Amino acid sequence: MSFTSQIREVARVDLVVERRTGETFRIVLPFAIVTLIIFSLSLGGDVAILRTVGPAVFWAVSVLFGMQLALRASALDSPTRRDLMLLLDLDPAARFLGRTLASATIVLVFMTVLFATMVVLFDPSLPGGWFWPVAAAISLAAIGLAALSTLAGGVAAGTRNRSSLASLIVAPLAIPVVVGGSQVLEAMERNSGILLWILLLITSDLALLVAGVGLSRPLEEASR
Amino acid sequence: MRRVQIMFLVATTAVAYGAYLAFTAPLDALQGEFTRMIYIHVPTLWLAFLAFGITALGSIAYLITKKPRWDRLAASSAEIGVLFSVVGVFTGMVWGQAVWGQAWDWGDARLATTAVMIFVYLGYLALRHSIADPEVRAKRAAILGTIAVIQVPLVYFSVNLVRTLHQTQSIRPDGSTMPTEILVALLVNVGAFTLLYVVLMMARMHVAVLEETRMSATVVAGDAVAPPRLSDVKDV
Repeated sequence: MSFTSQIREVARVDLVVERRTGETFRIVLPFAIVTLIIFSLSLGGDVAILRTVGPAVFWAVSVLFGMQLALRASALDSPTRRDLMLLLDLDPAARFLGRTLASATIVLVFMTVLFATMVVLFDPSLPGGWFWPVAAAISLAAIGLAALSTLAGGVAAGTRNRSSLASLIVAPLAIPVVVGGSQVLEAMERNSGILLWILLLITSDLALLVAGVGLSRPLEEASR
Repeated sequence: MRRVQIMFLVATTAVAYGAYLAFTAPLDALQGEFTRMIYIHVPTLWLAFLAFGITALGSIAYLITKKPRWDRLAASSAEIGVLFSVVGVFTGMVWGQAVWGQAWDWGDARLATTAVMIFVYLGYLALRHSIADPEVRAKRAAILGTIAVIQVPLVYFSVNLVRTLHQTQSIRPDGSTMPTEILVALLVNVGAFTLLYVVLMMARMHVAVLEETRMSATVVAGDAVAPPRLSDVKDV
C-alpha cells in the first residue's frame, strides 16, 4: 500500500467512525452554537457591540471547540485498533497525516457552519470581497488546529485527564493560528494587506505538519 | 552534593557582585531608580530562554538515546525555566507600571508571547504529572519538549515583527545601544544568574535521582498481599 493510500485509508476510517458516533454534529456543534447565543445574550443584545465583536467571538469559539473536535473520542485508538495498525505495518507518518486530514475536514465543516451562524446572530459588517480571504483563513486554521490537536491527543492519550490536559497543551500553541485567522478580517477592514497573516497561518501549519511527521514514530512508541 | 554546595557558594558570590554593580551603575535620566530593574528582568528572561532551550536539547537527546538522564535534564530545566520566566514577567510588570504607566498591554507582542510561552511549559509540566509510568512519561514529555521550544524564537523576535511598547534588542551583533557601565553590570548579572541556574539544575537533578530511587524502592501493597482464596478458609 502506497504512502498516500495509507493516509487516505486512515482518514477514511476516522471519518466513517465519526459519522457513526456523530459527536461533531449531534453534540459539539449545537453546544458551540449555544455558546454563541450565550455570548450575544451576555453582551446585552446591543447590536453595535455584537456587530463589532462577532468575528472575534467566532474565532474564540472556533478554537476552543475546534480543538475539542480534533480530540474527539472517535479519534482515540482502542488497544485492539492499535495492535491491528501495528500488524498492518502502517507508516506512523501516514497515520499522523491521515488523522490530521480527517480532523481538518471535520473542523473545516464545523467552522464553516459556525461562521454562517455567527453572521446570522451577530450581523457583522463584512468588508467587500471577504469570501475568499475568510475561506482561506478558516481552511488554514482548520489544518493547524487539526495537526496540533492530533499531536497533543497522542501525547496525552491514556491519561486520566486527557481532554483537559490536551486542551491545556493545544490552547497556548494555537495562538499563532488564532491571531492569523482573526487578523485577516481586521486587516481587510483597515484596508491593509492580509498576506502577512495568511503567511503566518501557512508557516504555522507547515511547522506543525513537519513536527508531527518528524515525531510520529516516537509518538506511536509512546502510545503503546 | 559537595559539588552543589561549592557551586552554590560561587553563584551566591557572583550574584552578590552583580547586585553591587547594579546598585553602583549609572541611572537612566528618565527612568531613575527603575533603571535597576534591568539587572533582574533581562537575566531572568535570558535564563528562561536558555532553560527552555536546554529542555528541547534534553528532549531530543532522550528521543535519540532513551537514556533517563536526558529526561531528568529536560524536566529540571523546564521547572527552573518556568520559575525564571514568572520572575521575569513579574519584574517586567513592575518596571512597566513605573515607566510606561501600565503593567500589562495585550497589544504588546513581547508580553503576550511571553505569557503564552509560560502556559506552554505549564502544560509540559502538567503532562509530566499526569503520567505515572516513567518511560511513557519521558517519551511523551520529550515530544512536547521538542515542539514547545518554537515559542522561544517567537518571543525573542516578536519585538522585531510587531513594534509596540517593548523596544527592539539593545545588544546586537553590530554593538550595543547602552552605555558601557550599564552594559558591563548587565553582562555580569547575566553571568551570575547563569551560575545560579547551573546550581539549581544540579540540585534539581540530584533530587530527581533521589525521587526515582525512592519510587523504584517502594513496595506496592499489592505485590506483598495476595487476595484471600476460599479454599484457604477452613471455616467456610
